[in-house]
Amino acid sequence: MTNSSQRYEKIEFLGEGQFATVYKAKDKENDNIVAVKKIKAGSKIEAQDGINRTALREIKILQELNHKNCLVLLDVFSQGSMSNVSLVFDFMDTDLEVIIKDNTIILTTPNIKTYMIQTLQGLEYLHLNWILHRDLKPNNLLVNASGILKIADFGLAKLFGSPNRLNTHQVVTRWYRSPELLFGAKQYGICVDMWAVGCILAELLLRVPFLPGESDLDQLTKIFQVFGNPTEQNWPGVKSLSDFVEFKPYPPVPLKNIFIAAGDDLLDVVDALLVLNPLKRKNCSETLQMPFFSNKPAPSINAKLPLPQNIKKKDLEKPSLKRKLLNSAEGGTLSKRLFF
Amino acid sequence: MEDTICPRCKTSKFQNPSLKMMVNVCGHALCESCVDLLFLKGSGACPDCRIPLRRNNFRVQLFEDSTVEKEVDIRKRILRDFNKKEEDFSSLREYNDYLEEIETIIYNLSNDVDIINTNKRIEDYKRNNKEQIMKSKNKMSREEYELEELLEVEKQNDLVRRNELKIEEIQTKKKKLREKEALIDELMFSNANAKNIVETFALNAKESKEAEIKIVPNKVTQFSSGIQFGRQTQSSFLPVSIEEGPLYTYKPQSIVSDGPQPPAEEDLVKIGYNTHIRSETEQERAGGFVSNVACIRALQDALAGLYHVKKIVA
Repeated sequence: MTNSSQRYEKIEFLGEGQFATVYKAKDKENDNIVAVKKIKAGSKIEAQDGINRTALREIKILQELNHKNCLVLLDVFSQGSMSNVSLVFDFMDTDLEVIIKDNTIILTTPNIKTYMIQTLQGLEYLHLNWILHRDLKPNNLLVNASGILKIADFGLAKLFGSPNRLNTHQVVTRWYRSPELLFGAKQYGICVDMWAVGCILAELLLRVPFLPGESDLDQLTKIFQVFGNPTEQNWPGVKSLSDFVEFKPYPPVPLKNIFIAAGDDLLDVVDALLVLNPLKRKNCSETLQMPFFSNKPAPSINAKLPLPQNIKKKDLEKPSLKRKLLNSAEGGTLSKRLFF
Repeated sequence: MEDTICPRCKTSKFQNPSLKMMVNVCGHALCESCVDLLFLKGSGACPDCRIPLRRNNFRVQLFEDSTVEKEVDIRKRILRDFNKKEEDFSSLREYNDYLEEIETIIYNLSNDVDIINTNKRIEDYKRNNKEQIMKSKNKMSREEYELEELLEVEKQNDLVRRNELKIEEIQTKKKKLREKEALIDELMFSNANAKNIVETFALNAKESKEAEIKIVPNKVTQFSSGIQFGRQTQSSFLPVSIEEGPLYTYKPQSIVSDGPQPPAEEDLVKIGYNTHIRSETEQERAGGFVSNVACIRALQDALAGLYHVKKIVA
């Protein structure tokens, strides 16, 4: 254990979250640049019980993963007492949120295709292994300098497929939360991740969040303003969901009017992912087999993807530190509530 | 979690969303208000097993299964006395025997097996190892000390960063004030045209403000991580590369299951597997859950690893 903690040499501070601080570090054994996520001990009472439970959940799931589009765990080590745990990951230069919001970058159809294929492949792997991510958003899709996208942050991930286990519906950042979660479903499946992927695809096209709801009800209004209200015909049983409320009727808007520049095969993908009825949503494998992905133009080569200019200059970390600091100074990001 | 019910007052999570279950050493759960009521005097008997309990030993239930809670309690108590470390033994064998002894005691106590003898064993151990226990307890506190140090460092770091932000804020405020004063001074004592002076000052202020904006991104909503939309510093677009890669073809991913192939989803009904699994309710169906999924998972879980052979490392 002591070997391991001396193996990584801290280079700089990257950012801080609710449960951990992240440092950029160098692996002395092979000179690789890695990211070290040091779990906070929290309060004294928590520390006496051992490792933080969110961290434990993340470690538990990460240990079993191995896929090129998932941020896999390279190493875990602890310094001194057991509650001082650090996780080691590959170092990733940026995330999809930065890319989407950087307006000097033009995202072409081939670019979008490459990002989507990588996301869907990573997610397909997770779903095949019975893992729900439950917090997909551009911010959690990390991209490195060679254009490889990896799904990260498994703090909310959970195994699914057990008929007797109830899940909480208070998951997924609101803008990417599916209608069944907003209606309070306790039993759900991969469809919640698929909705989030649909929102991410829409955001790649629009370059602004597709459904930026300001509250849970506002989120549902935003959804129905686009897709029309759910009925017992297109979503059987919707009225039986525990938090169901009737909304003012909205007529559906054709997607063509929202994504004016997108091709028909691309609209089909959006249409297949953003379906109100969760059972009608396509899964990763079905989505990847849709014509859009195999049609021309071919997806761009990973290394040729456009990336923010400051990545090469390596000063991206400075603003991101500021970002996290400002957040923590104003009471931090919206804390995630977990009931299990 | 939804269907937790207090065994005494029958309040459920549905009736009282803030229901908190508490457990004591015996492992029988009670809700918070029942604990308040029954243990008004500080101690009383458990309504389930009549064991005398103290009120301040009650704590919030962490695990759904209260027998787990009971075991955790017992384990904590036992490990307070059985606190030898690996260094205290001459061989690994002895240490392992010692650990096994602890596990037996904990198992016996938590499952009510042979309690009298087990308690005697604990007493014996305590008597024989009085010094050792005291010594190890001091050692333990050193570990705790380390932990405290760690927490302190974390707190310090937070404080330092917060202070940095505060200082920065104060400095900008001071700067503004200074600029204002300079402008007034200039207007009072200079002979130049007042309009010109105001204009040059406004220009200066604008410039310095622009420089600041680059550093401080304003937060739009609590969701955004603070990256600003829009064209930031440079106005030119990055060049678009139109180089084409190979066309994408879908390749299904395979999982190594180390076992026989589970039946396909289409066959579940035909073979009749799903008759053994509770079918989903209308509500679960609307939430996107179908029992076929649960059935496939159960079959996969049952068959995976059956052919697994331990690899012999030469």
